Amino acid sequence: MSEIATKSILTELVSGVEGQVASCKLSQEAEAFLAKTGIPSKRHENWKYTNIKRLFDNGLTVVNSAYSVHTSELNLANTISIGLTNDAVTNKLPTINGVDVFMADGKTELLGSTGIHQKEELAALNTALFQNALVIRVKKGTELSSTILLNQRVELEANSFANSRVLIIVEDGASAKLVHHFHGTKNSDSSLLNHVTEVFVGQNARLELNYVQEIGEGNLMTTTEVECQRDSNFTTNCIQLSGKLLRNNLNIRLKGENIETHLNGFYMLNGKELFDNHTHVDHLEPHCESNEIYRGILAGNSTGVFNGKVFVHRDAQKTNGYQSNNNILLSDDATMNSKPELEIYADDVRCSHGSTTGQLDEEAVFYLRTRGLDEFGATALLLSAFASDVLNAISSEELRTILEQKIQDKLKGMRA
Amino acid sequence: MSLLTIKNLNARVEDKEILKGFNLTVNPGEVHAIMGPNGSGKSTLASVLAGNESYEVTGGEVDFDGKNLLDMAPEERAREGLFLAFQYPIEIPGVSNVNFMRSAVAEIRKHRGLEPLDAKDFLALMKEKKELVELSGNLAGRSVNEGFSGGEKKRNEIFQMAMLDPKLAILDETDSGLDIDALRIVASGVNKLKTKDNAFIVITHYQRLLDHIVPDFVHVLYNGKIVRSGTKELALELEEKGYDWIKEELAEA
Repeated sequence: MSEIATKSILTELVSGVEGQVASCKLSQEAEAFLAKTGIPSKRHENWKYTNIKRLFDNGLTVVNSAYSVHTSELNLANTISIGLTNDAVTNKLPTINGVDVFMADGKTELLGSTGIHQKEELAALNTALFQNALVIRVKKGTELSSTILLNQRVELEANSFANSRVLIIVEDGASAKLVHHFHGTKNSDSSLLNHVTEVFVGQNARLELNYVQEIGEGNLMTTTEVECQRDSNFTTNCIQLSGKLLRNNLNIRLKGENIETHLNGFYMLNGKELFDNHTHVDHLEPHCESNEIYRGILAGNSTGVFNGKVFVHRDAQKTNGYQSNNNILLSDDATMNSKPELEIYADDVRCSHGSTTGQLDEEAVFYLRTRGLDEFGATALLLSAFASDVLNAISSEELRTILEQKIQDKLKGMRA
Repeated sequence: MSLLTIKNLNARVEDKEILKGFNLTVNPGEVHAIMGPNGSGKSTLASVLAGNESYEVTGGEVDFDGKNLLDMAPEERAREGLFLAFQYPIEIPGVSNVNFMRSAVAEIRKHRGLEPLDAKDFLALMKEKKELVELSGNLAGRSVNEGFSGGEKKRNEIFQMAMLDPKLAILDETDSGLDIDALRIVASGVNKLKTKDNAFIVITHYQRLLDHIVPDFVHVLYNGKIVRSGTKELALELEEKGYDWIKEELAEA
């Protein structure tokens, strides 16, 4: 395919492409992929409930932001913070013992090596358009005691389209904890932040990656592509608190034996919010374990989507795969679309999955009220218990407490 | 002044009339036992008094300590000093007993105009009341009733009652299904909590409980109303002869 032809796919999709595209192998591959696929519509199985194409049809213009200093809204102790504004990263990168923190563009061969830019449309678009990626490499054997906080303020005007990118490498025997906080209250509902994180977890390495997403009226698309090597442990927790549209694609490939991975999500929706979580775990080798719990509370006219797939390949004997999705609807007008999927090609595995969607247990509410709690207090206690199975997977008690408070605050807003 | 006065109470669930002109007066310091065959309306009475909205009150009045009980939400009834020990206590996964009781005690103290308990005093209160019903040490951290045995659930109800210090406690078949040890613990808990200022309504199928919690009055509930009242000797008579003789007498009348 000629360069002119592939360039034209980007200009077809978004404005402001001129001068954006670094001509390198990675971006060419991404464009070639996009030329075949375009932006997925609701006819696409993975986008059945989430109309992201509408944002593109409505017109999106690529922006490159300038970093503006902002303090973190998550007040966590023992944390090394790295600031981002939309797609821009602070030029004051921290120095951390045993960790390389640097910027890289698409010419760096580290980027794109998960191949995500040739698998998913929005990740491909990100790959063609991102300017600089933040790279965090935790060097071999480093046990990081501080938590790294990616403090990303999202502030996008009407029709603005930003592409941010992060690469996390936890080398063999190293361990790290990250919190990636997307936050902002001034986003236009016609804007889009399209984020990609690639993650490599080395042999016997450990990573806890927490996402907190609260961007007001804005739209956020994230793709997280993870590759784990043998004996490693990868935990990811995603807490979704606000956004007009939040869509997370999370793909984890377990490429060695004896890997343990935990995927947890908690979402709380009100008004016309739409939160969509698509997860995919590939068990490629024997003796690995994946545990997935996604839970949500939906009020107002909101819509939730959960699509979780656990794929056990032929060689992945002795796999333990557990997946559950539980939802509480607080309103008759809220909708949850839940699709847990197991696909198993090995014959000696233990896997289970389940999905429940229901209302708050009225008997439990009554029981609590007979002990003096009012209806709101009883509801709040039950809902925070419902959330606790997910929140307890977050190792930082401090972060848990902050998130519990945010959940309570949103709940109070729902009552009004 | 009486603590509870129920006059001509009528209640139904869905389209079925269950209470049909129920009357009862309870004074401070009294223990009333309500007995009766299955389906006579015993548990409906307990649910209606606690404010369960599945039951519709179609007539009558209930005065609780000078206030109209039927106008109050379930939590207001609790704060005013009414307590229901559930026949089937609800399991609440993820809510620990300690958090539950902390919230409940805080609400009730606030209503009574008392200062909130500090953490130390609260835990001391928990410990004292736990011992009263011989509940094991790790109760506090466990989820409410989750994985509890039948006996533990019932003891947990009495424990909650002790924590909340009600004026009037209704025990809805708290004894059903209990072995003799659990029964003894439950009864002794109640006896220790009994004062001249509070009162108990003990709803039961079995006279056995009344050997341990001695009632001042025994009432027979049949077909939605009290058809006979007496003292503890009435319970013994019922144990011996069953309910058929009462039904027959009523049929003749």
